[in-house]
Amino acid sequence: MVKRKLGALEKVEADLPNLQHKIRRDPKSYIEDFRAQHYQYESHREIFMAAPSATTETGLISLRELIDFLAHVADCYPTITKDFPQQLIDILTQHHLILQPELREKIVGSLVLLRKKELLDSATLLQTLFPILISTPSKTLRALLFQKILMDLRSSNAKTTNHKLNRTMQTVLFNMVTSDRTSSKGLWAIKLTRELWKRQIWTDAKAVEVMKEASLADNDKVVVGGVRFFLGGDKEREEMEDESSDEEAIDLGKVKHQVGINKKTRKKSRAVEKAKATVKRRERKKNQPHPLNFSALHLLHDPQGYAESLFSKHLQNTKSKLNLDQKLLVLQLVTRLVGLHKLHIMHLYSYFQKYLTPRQPSVTSFLASLAQASHDLVPPDDLEPLVQKIANEFVSEASASEVASAGLNAIREICVRQPLAMNETLLQDLVMYRKSKDKGVMMAGRGLLSLFREINPEMLKRRDRGKDASIGLRSGERKEKRFAEQEAGGIEGLELLEKWKEEERRKKRAEKGLASDAEDDEDEDDEEADWAAWNVEDDEDSDDSGDWVNVQSDVEIELSDSEDEKDGPPSKKAKSNDDTKAESKPEETAEAKFSKLATTRILTPADLAKLQELRTEAAVNALVPGSKGATRHRDDPLTAEEIEGLAALSAGKATREERIAHAKEGKTDRSEHKSVTAKRKERKEDQGKSTTNKEKARKKNFLMTLRKAKSKNKRSLVQTRAVLKAHQDRAKRGGRRGNVGAVA
Amino acid sequence: MGSSAKKKKEKQKDFQKAKLKVGKAKGKPENFTDTSFKTKGITLTQQSLTLTAPSIQSQFTHHVSLLNSKSDAQRRDSLAHLTTHITSKPTSQPLPQPVSTLLPTLSPLILDASTNVRTQLLKLLRALPPADVEDHVVQLMPYIRAGMTHLAADIRVTAIEVLSWLVEIAGEAVVSCAGGWIKTLNCFLSVLGWHTEESSKWSANRAAFGKAGAKGRPMVKVLGVLAEFLHAGIGEDEDDEDVVMGGAEVESGYGSGDGGDGGFPIVQADVHMVPKTAQPYVYLNLFGSPRDEEGEMYETREERFRVFKSRFLVAVERGVESARQDGGEVGRASSSVSKVLKEARGVDWEG
Repeated sequence: MVKRKLGALEKVEADLPNLQHKIRRDPKSYIEDFRAQHYQYESHREIFMAAPSATTETGLISLRELIDFLAHVADCYPTITKDFPQQLIDILTQHHLILQPELREKIVGSLVLLRKKELLDSATLLQTLFPILISTPSKTLRALLFQKILMDLRSSNAKTTNHKLNRTMQTVLFNMVTSDRTSSKGLWAIKLTRELWKRQIWTDAKAVEVMKEASLADNDKVVVGGVRFFLGGDKEREEMEDESSDEEAIDLGKVKHQVGINKKTRKKSRAVEKAKATVKRRERKKNQPHPLNFSALHLLHDPQGYAESLFSKHLQNTKSKLNLDQKLLVLQLVTRLVGLHKLHIMHLYSYFQKYLTPRQPSVTSFLASLAQASHDLVPPDDLEPLVQKIANEFVSEASASEVASAGLNAIREICVRQPLAMNETLLQDLVMYRKSKDKGVMMAGRGLLSLFREINPEMLKRRDRGKDASIGLRSGERKEKRFAEQEAGGIEGLELLEKWKEEERRKKRAEKGLASDAEDDEDEDDEEADWAAWNVEDDEDSDDSGDWVNVQSDVEIELSDSEDEKDGPPSKKAKSNDDTKAESKPEETAEAKFSKLATTRILTPADLAKLQELRTEAAVNALVPGSKGATRHRDDPLTAEEIEGLAALSAGKATREERIAHAKEGKTDRSEHKSVTAKRKERKEDQGKSTTNKEKARKKNFLMTLRKAKSKNKRSLVQTRAVLKAHQDRAKRGGRRGNVGAVA
Repeated sequence: MGSSAKKKKEKQKDFQKAKLKVGKAKGKPENFTDTSFKTKGITLTQQSLTLTAPSIQSQFTHHVSLLNSKSDAQRRDSLAHLTTHITSKPTSQPLPQPVSTLLPTLSPLILDASTNVRTQLLKLLRALPPADVEDHVVQLMPYIRAGMTHLAADIRVTAIEVLSWLVEIAGEAVVSCAGGWIKTLNCFLSVLGWHTEESSKWSANRAAFGKAGAKGRPMVKVLGVLAEFLHAGIGEDEDDEDVVMGGAEVESGYGSGDGGDGGFPIVQADVHMVPKTAQPYVYLNLFGSPRDEEGEMYETREERFRVFKSRFLVAVERGVESARQDGGEVGRASSSVSKVLKEARGVDWEG
């Protein structure tokens, strides 16, 4: 088919992209053309403003294209285009309801582009886009605007935190949530805040305050949004962080190697540069101190007031329109706050009373919430009737095994937090369930038993106490904890540090076991050296604080020396005139020792670094299965699954299909059965490796080998000899190319 | 070897000739596609069953609606039809549709990509009754201005021609409508490339971007129209004397001097009367968006000259000078502009 020729007269050219390209290269020469296009835009805008809703396409160039063009080159002519951003803003704010979708999107895109070119400031952009986001009925526009707003906030917080912008934005969101509590507009505030929280752009109390107000709204969607944030926002944030941290690692060596082999192009060299930059950036990120992020629950200003108002507004209030699921969410939040901050809400426990029956839908969530709400400052009088009720309603021979195990688990979880909620007779009854035939109930009963062996063995019958507890009781080590009794606090992991130091010291002593005569003098010298070392390190630290870890780690500074006699020789004693005080106290309890380390000695930066290291090590060890279970973090919620516990075990035998599915669970599916060689070969091909000589020979075309094979028969003896000789020779040399390097 | 023979045979098969036989139908070619289909009935969704031909009125309306058609030829033909219809009907008879409804569909065609459509449009515009167009100059002007700064040179030329026609029939309205003076002059300067000192030099790259266009010597034409435009705006009102009273009232209220037609006590009565134009209070801008300096109306010659002097005079004089130095046809065309300028200055001195 012949291309139809356009007559030269028919053709009309209007190539804006071309002009744009030329202007980018040489703005000065094309200023007249740009001016013409600017007038063109002005005229089109005039036409448009006269009838904004009209859909007349005006000839070759539409207003949309002109806007696009101007936005792209506006930075070249700032004086001519100084009104341009404002004009776009006006069009968008006045006519966004009737604009054509394409034009609307183009205007939004152009505004963002102008923001990138610094012709428009972030605050103005956000002030323009945000009201439209809230008011527009178009779903696509909302999605676009949300994305753009988020992107702008992210980019303006990319290098440093833009406090001013964040504050204004947070104030806008806060006002939006608080101004009209019945409207669902607050959802946008929630969405935005949650997203920014997830990305760790907003981590301050003000963002939490927005969410707090949202959860106290009258609209149920907004309430649920706010509550969900508190229940799951931090977890989301952690996951996001993990995701971003385990991006695929770049093998710099491989990249460099590939460049050495392949053809050198500018694109490839750029790729290497990029890889280098990425690796460098990651290194720097790794070395940066971890940002201190508090969870949203800790950033609340007035947890007591907040929890009370949540409880009275959404749960106690009979007119509240929330359904059961939503109420459960609110209840979870309230009880978490109560448990975490040790709050006291008067009617919370009596509120639970009516929900604690096995027939109540999702009763396990209620049980979990109740357990979450109990802490050691709750009066036992409040909890005891609840425990009694759970025992009566759930735990009986007549009830189903799942119900009984859930009840037992719930009682255990309550007693972990407030042991005084249990009375002796009830406990002894409940412990009997460890003899149940059902596995779930049995495990739950055992759990309760082992708990009380730890916290208060006196309440158990003598034969149930077990060996450790009995011995502990006799020696007076285990005592009942009184109401609101607090343990003396310490520094976490300090005992680990103590132990480590002792070991180090022992090693040292072993090393210089011979030269331990002139210790006192040496120690004096050591002392001097220690202080000197501290000072020197200090100076260095002020230069670059990145080197904290490199401080000489076995240098210690002591202030007083009323300790350590049992550590053997007084190797680190400072002042001998205090020696009279120094007496060994072998019966000293562990706690006292630990507190002494902190109170008698200034921990050097090296000590602190070591302490951190030991702490993480201990945490990792705790996670390894087989070691005694990791303790729950204070911030972690108690879930309904935990209350249900091993109920799955009591559900009877699994069907055949279930068993098969269970067996298949861990295994990866293999698509086809192949020989090992075939698999190996496939893997090799996947990795892009070449074939061996043997394989090449095997694959060689038959016709190519035919001639040689034929001629082999016709060789004379001399020829054969020569060939064999040559072959032997080659074999010695190591192939045709020879092992030249190897010989030399 | 067996396979090779087989392959040969297979290859041969592709080039075997079908034998033609007398009395038998010719075989179908290989790439034949069967497009026949069977159906139980054929329904026509639209069927015109009127016996009488459509009235002229309805034909006219139909063709007006076809002006938005996608095809160039269709638009052109419809324009041609409308033109013949308007020109052939007696002038006493009104148009089947008023100009006010025609213009919104016609004006976007100034920016049409097809040359034929634009030439046809020009013919149609010329056929419209001038008195009716005068009231709708404001709506037409943005399209003309958009055309004047268009990337395509041909469209620029068409727009200039349309402007020339409009100045001819309604010069006063063109220069005094909102945005009609400053914005249009800006467009002129942009078309001529006279905005800055560098760009108006003869050595400057005149045809900076865009195709030069098929119609030659656009510069000459633009200069001519500029002269007409300036004359309408700031030239001498030579037609003051021989205009009948109604026209004079509109154009310059106090220009008619003290030849008051009213009784003795009422001197210059027409100044105090309600103006007789179609939109007498449009300058108040009661319903439009607020105007800036460029979009303002400049209703009197003095105002226009003041603005012209402060903003454009230097650039225009510089441009005219360089055009004169170019010589040739451009130089000759520039003389008409300079004549108007001289005239305007003269009037200004008097006033």
